[in-house]
Amino acid sequence: MELPGVLKQRRNQYALACLFLVVLLILWKPSVLIYGVQRAGLYAAIAIPMALVLGVVGILNIAHGDFMMIGAYLAYWGNVLYGVDPLVAMIPVFVVMFVVGAVTYKTTIKKVLDAPEFSQLLLTFGLAMILEQLANLLWTSQPRKLHVDYASTSATIGPYSFGVFEFANAAIALLILITLVLFLSRTRTGQAALAVGQNPRGARLVGIDVERSYLLLFSLSIAIVSAIGGLFLVRHSIFPLVGGSYTMRSFALIAMAGIGNLPGILYCSLALGVAESLIISFKGYGGWADIVFFAFILLVILIRSYRERLT
Amino acid sequence: MYATLALSWDMMFRSGQPGLSVAGFFGLGGYAAALSFLYWGVNPLVSIALGCLFSLLVAFILGLVILRIRGLYFSIATMSLSEIFRVIVMNWHRFTGGPSGKALPSAVFNGDSAKIFWLFLVLTLLTVIVSEIFERSRVHFALTSIRNNEIVAKSSGIDVFKYLVVVFALTSALQGMIGGAYAHSYAFISPEGSFNFNFVLLPVTMALFGGIHSTLGPIVGAVILGVVGEYLKLQLPYGHLLVYGVIIVIVILFLPKGIVGTAKERLKRKWATI
Amino acid sequence: MKLKYSTRVLTLILSMLMVAGCATTPAKPTEAPTATPTEAAPIKVGLIAALGDVSGINGQNGALLAEKEINAAGGVLGRPLKVIVVDDEMTPEKGAAAVDKLATVDNVDAFVINSFSGVHMAQIPALKKYGKVTIVTGAASHLCEEAIGEDADWYFHLHSWDYMQGEGQKAAWQAFAEKYPDIMFKSVFMAYEEGAFGTASYQFSQKLFEDIATLSGESFKSAAMGGGDYSAVLEHAKAENPDCFTWVGYAADALPILEQAKSINFAPKFFVGAPPGWPPDFGESPLAEGVIAYEVWADALTEVSDISKSFYDGYVEMFGSGPDNYLAPLVYSAIHILVEGMERAGTIETEALIAALEQTEYKAPTMEVITFSPSKIISHQAPLTPMLTQYQGGKLEVIYPWDRATSELIYPFPAWEGR
Repeated sequence: MELPGVLKQRRNQYALACLFLVVLLILWKPSVLIYGVQRAGLYAAIAIPMALVLGVVGILNIAHGDFMMIGAYLAYWGNVLYGVDPLVAMIPVFVVMFVVGAVTYKTTIKKVLDAPEFSQLLLTFGLAMILEQLANLLWTSQPRKLHVDYASTSATIGPYSFGVFEFANAAIALLILITLVLFLSRTRTGQAALAVGQNPRGARLVGIDVERSYLLLFSLSIAIVSAIGGLFLVRHSIFPLVGGSYTMRSFALIAMAGIGNLPGILYCSLALGVAESLIISFKGYGGWADIVFFAFILLVILIRSYRERLT
Repeated sequence: MYATLALSWDMMFRSGQPGLSVAGFFGLGGYAAALSFLYWGVNPLVSIALGCLFSLLVAFILGLVILRIRGLYFSIATMSLSEIFRVIVMNWHRFTGGPSGKALPSAVFNGDSAKIFWLFLVLTLLTVIVSEIFERSRVHFALTSIRNNEIVAKSSGIDVFKYLVVVFALTSALQGMIGGAYAHSYAFISPEGSFNFNFVLLPVTMALFGGIHSTLGPIVGAVILGVVGEYLKLQLPYGHLLVYGVIIVIVILFLPKGIVGTAKERLKRKWATI
Repeated sequence: MKLKYSTRVLTLILSMLMVAGCATTPAKPTEAPTATPTEAAPIKVGLIAALGDVSGINGQNGALLAEKEINAAGGVLGRPLKVIVVDDEMTPEKGAAAVDKLATVDNVDAFVINSFSGVHMAQIPALKKYGKVTIVTGAASHLCEEAIGEDADWYFHLHSWDYMQGEGQKAAWQAFAEKYPDIMFKSVFMAYEEGAFGTASYQFSQKLFEDIATLSGESFKSAAMGGGDYSAVLEHAKAENPDCFTWVGYAADALPILEQAKSINFAPKFFVGAPPGWPPDFGESPLAEGVIAYEVWADALTEVSDISKSFYDGYVEMFGSGPDNYLAPLVYSAIHILVEGMERAGTIETEALIAALEQTEYKAPTMEVITFSPSKIISHQAPLTPMLTQYQGGKLEVIYPWDRATSELIYPFPAWEGR
């Protein structure tokens, strides 16, 4: 995590440029901004817990999106069987999946911490496959969707109506980010975890229980992303493969922000969300939105790697 | 087929660079082969070679740009490239047939599966030979040293970048070649079929399963996983992919070096005790 | 030493593969029908379907139900019927391998194929090689028809081609316009998913709707493909203010698209959806009221047809709940058509069977009378006219054709306020 002070000046410049763009967009195409922010909220909310694990534990969790899928199914059945609202269900899902995350860590992840990067990757790929197939066996590939009244809450400004529920995505992403940053910087456990992420050997030397930090952060990440499943369920259909594309997107976002840079994910999500919304707002160019997503990421990675080379 | 993809991925990975563009070049080669056959009537076998060359060329040019990137970022960059290829193919309706793809009038050898099998076998052999040449030549030492410590490799006079570009272009060419053969054996191409992410995940899984950094490992991995997959399918029509996933997890947990690596180690230990 | 060892193992594996290759070389279609089949030897039908997907499961269920009924009624030609199901795993190479497996290992007498277009394309070279009677209940892409070509007389296509679906829809609306001239639409906006399915639908509709309405459209990324944001398409649709809004996507898009339409307050007079299947709980949402769907099967058909009812009851009895989509009755019909053909031919010999199948006149649970006639390229295509159906009070009611109608059209699409 970078210190805010260091980049202060450059950051101010960025902020100014962004503000200018925002004003421009508001005047020209307000919908782009609205949907861009909503899109970005979901991207960031899902990517942040993944970044946490990648940054501290050093595991790239391919099953990340699939845990969200499982969380969404739990929320779905919570609603169908017990009438629990999906947003309320996020809390029990969080608790249950924290335990599931801990068990997953203990039985599998823990054993490959010292293994080569790609063995870890393959392990989580295996987990992803298990989760997806389990969901497919238990609940079939038939997409499911809850109907909740507030999902299509809308606001009208002048002649213009738009959905407001998805601002919750952005709010929750922000909430997760702030909580995590505070947790990592203010609490002892969090500071310890951060230290472990930066230098596990050193952390061990100063008496930090590295194992426990890993366990905690991995479980926390699984719990958060599964809880987001409840939020996801409000506006999206769920099916066994629904998580996969979000894993890929999160991974791309993290690479763009730089590993270990949690707030960066928020900015990158915003930039990408708005850029994508901008592209699809031109009729007939929707098919190119994916190119923007990936070309943008490629560009950022390239620029960064060249800049590193120069310095 | 997967054996070849697994092996070609591993050849790149020997340099420590985890590429995820297998599907991209596979699809690119497939399209190049199929379209050259369709539009210019190139002989199918020649068009497969064309697909191979086209992938080589594209990979070479792109390699010049992206091979400055390392590690996980390299994975993302190569994956992005694959996706970009896919979107371009999907949106270039007039030439590529867009999302529906293109059908070829007939499969290579008129769909004779025995001949197609031989074709794939020859291509696999070709890949094995390239891999073995790599293994025994200076390239092998260059790549291993890059993997172990790039800075040391550089300071000992190895032109890291040059080797990486060559290897990237060559492995992508092999992927393109298989892509071409694939397109011709089923007589059609489509973005969803050719740029499928399965063509990345499965080969990588097979290579890791069998054991990385060797010619033998990926081949063994592909053969075992292929056979196990088919066997499971016969036994359990529904849950076979679930069991497949469990097997992957178990192998990683208990045979961290892959099948071949573990077997080698066992043998070595046995020899040592005798 | 190490290298030598690895090379040796490698050669071993490769030579094993070569031996395997020789083994799979079909030793010519095993001379003559393997002796005269004994009385008990079953007649085997190979079904290829995507068992990881609800469409494939439904297809399989339909086949199993037909198999049960046929065997309960004494089998085929005095022999029992056996349906052998192989999963295509929704991948082209597995789908093609399934054809080879069923033809060589199981030596089936006929195929029923329920794969998606992309998978089916890869199966075509193999199917041509064996030339066995094949009834296809999936694969709508016109590319499949091109790949099959006009010579394949053993190929019977039960599903409609993509260009026919548009024709059927157009015919339905034209009949509709005749009866209700004042409520017909003049402009259509079509939101189609960006994959092969949506794009082809849009292309064919473009030509077809020319003379009855103005058509414009835009693609979106389906939730099934990792998309699910319809805001832009809906905004554009709203800006054009069409009489009729049609979306072509997948079941996963059904409710989210309605929710987004509601949140931007977009309520055209006709709200039409054309996915291959609807989510099971779709009708329960208050937003579904008034949505029009093109369907081949609706549970409501059981109210107007005994054939539909007996199929439906049999299905519920065997599997606990009704079919999720039209592929269950379609594959069910395919098996029955095949068996009737065999009975009529008195043999399972290919040429006689083809001739017998050409005489098919089968009353399907979809209330269609299935006969085979030439389509654009192939010579055996079944008609499959889509019905206009509408969600009313949580239930899918049939609006058109008139002889199957279970309810009247609700027009216009009810406003969003209060639901």
